[in-house]
Amino acid sequence: MKKNYSIIGVILLSLLLAGCAGTQSRNTDPENDPWEGYNRKVFAFNNGLDKVVRPIAVGYDKIMPDPFQRGVGNFFRNLDAPVTYVNQVLQGKFKESVSTIGRFLVNSTVGILGFFDVATKWGMPYYNEDLGQTLATWGYDNSRYLMIPFFGPSTFRDGTGRLADSFYHPVGWAIHNKGRWGYFIVRGIDTRARYLDQDAELNDAYDPYVLMRDVWMQNRTYQIYDGDPPMLDYDLYLEDDPEAEEPATTGGQ
Amino acid sequence: MKVRILLLLAVASIFSGGLFAQTQAADPVSLVEDITGKIFTDVTENLEEYTANPETLDELVRRDLMPLLDIKYAARLILGRAGRGLGKEKIDEFADCMSNLLISRYSKGLLYFSSEIKLNVLPQRGDLNEKLTRVRTRVTLPEGGEAPVDYAFHKTPEGWKAFDVVFEGISYVTTYRNQIMPEVQANGIDSVIERLNSGQMQLAE
Repeated sequence: MKKNYSIIGVILLSLLLAGCAGTQSRNTDPENDPWEGYNRKVFAFNNGLDKVVRPIAVGYDKIMPDPFQRGVGNFFRNLDAPVTYVNQVLQGKFKESVSTIGRFLVNSTVGILGFFDVATKWGMPYYNEDLGQTLATWGYDNSRYLMIPFFGPSTFRDGTGRLADSFYHPVGWAIHNKGRWGYFIVRGIDTRARYLDQDAELNDAYDPYVLMRDVWMQNRTYQIYDGDPPMLDYDLYLEDDPEAEEPATTGGQ
Repeated sequence: MKVRILLLLAVASIFSGGLFAQTQAADPVSLVEDITGKIFTDVTENLEEYTANPETLDELVRRDLMPLLDIKYAARLILGRAGRGLGKEKIDEFADCMSNLLISRYSKGLLYFSSEIKLNVLPQRGDLNEKLTRVRTRVTLPEGGEAPVDYAFHKTPEGWKAFDVVFEGISYVTTYRNQIMPEVQANGIDSVIERLNSGQMQLAE
């Protein structure tokens, strides 16, 4: 029964934060982010958490020599293979799914538990799929932005997908079935360390919340389209006149 | 002696004029290949000098990369509805500010990736009769792996020019727009230009 506590914890915390969201009036993107008030609370909560996590990530980044850090990154990336495989099959990407099995076998053995990415050198490219992307290719292509406590930017679709994927992801499996959080914590620190270079940029932004949302949403679209999203409609940026904008704003609230 | 120098200058200007005409006709893919290839070679060969004097690298980028870009168009896209009612000079001032920011960032990126930089320009897709196109490139990272960097081009009277850079799906124009448009609306264009200029000075130190 232990396994459900973590999920219940995150959901309870989300509800708690939603409870204090009432005073927030700003809405910068009613279409994609109707829960902005709540999301900003979670963003602030995660930033508070980062006061503890960041120094650990900085220390880790200093202590770990680059090749080791790359190895840890490879190790966790290799553990994503089962989730990628299942979702490639669900999306009908059979050829790619064979490559994912090949990669997992090669990197787990020759690549010593995944620390070395031998498979890429052997011509088996890395793919990344998850249930959120599968649902998007099945037609659930617009989902509202959702900040999740501890995990950060997501959408309702991708957060739900992530939860479902976690039941057969090795790191999630260790938590759900064995109550082992070690891998999850190390992965969190390793991931945080990767984003240290971007901290200054985020902190100097006019609206850090919007910057994080923008970057995450655009990159997510890019993943869903496997690196080949349709070109942006730049003309829309020029034709942006104030009269056309008003009904959209009122309609979204 | 003076005549020879003048003659040399004249020849040089004809030559560069010829190059310019060639650039005009060039398709976006060859533009990216030629210009970035030239810049990368220069940086690789003179890395020590550029590391010691980053300003000289800024100059190189300004001279070689800027003619490829349509910063004024990018500035208009970024300002969006916040650009309405602003005078042409203000928009130009903002565009200059964006150029400086971009040059300083690009130079920093060049030094960061230094000698290991490798660029692979993917072949053109679709036909060039459209007014918009995308050039897709892959930059090989020093730590292994590739970073996808795309350039959005549009047709101008002076030929194809890039106006957006898209890194792993993240468009500079979109991202800047969503920061700068509300900031201009809240604080005014002058305050934004001032802030961007001061930020750039900080970065240069």
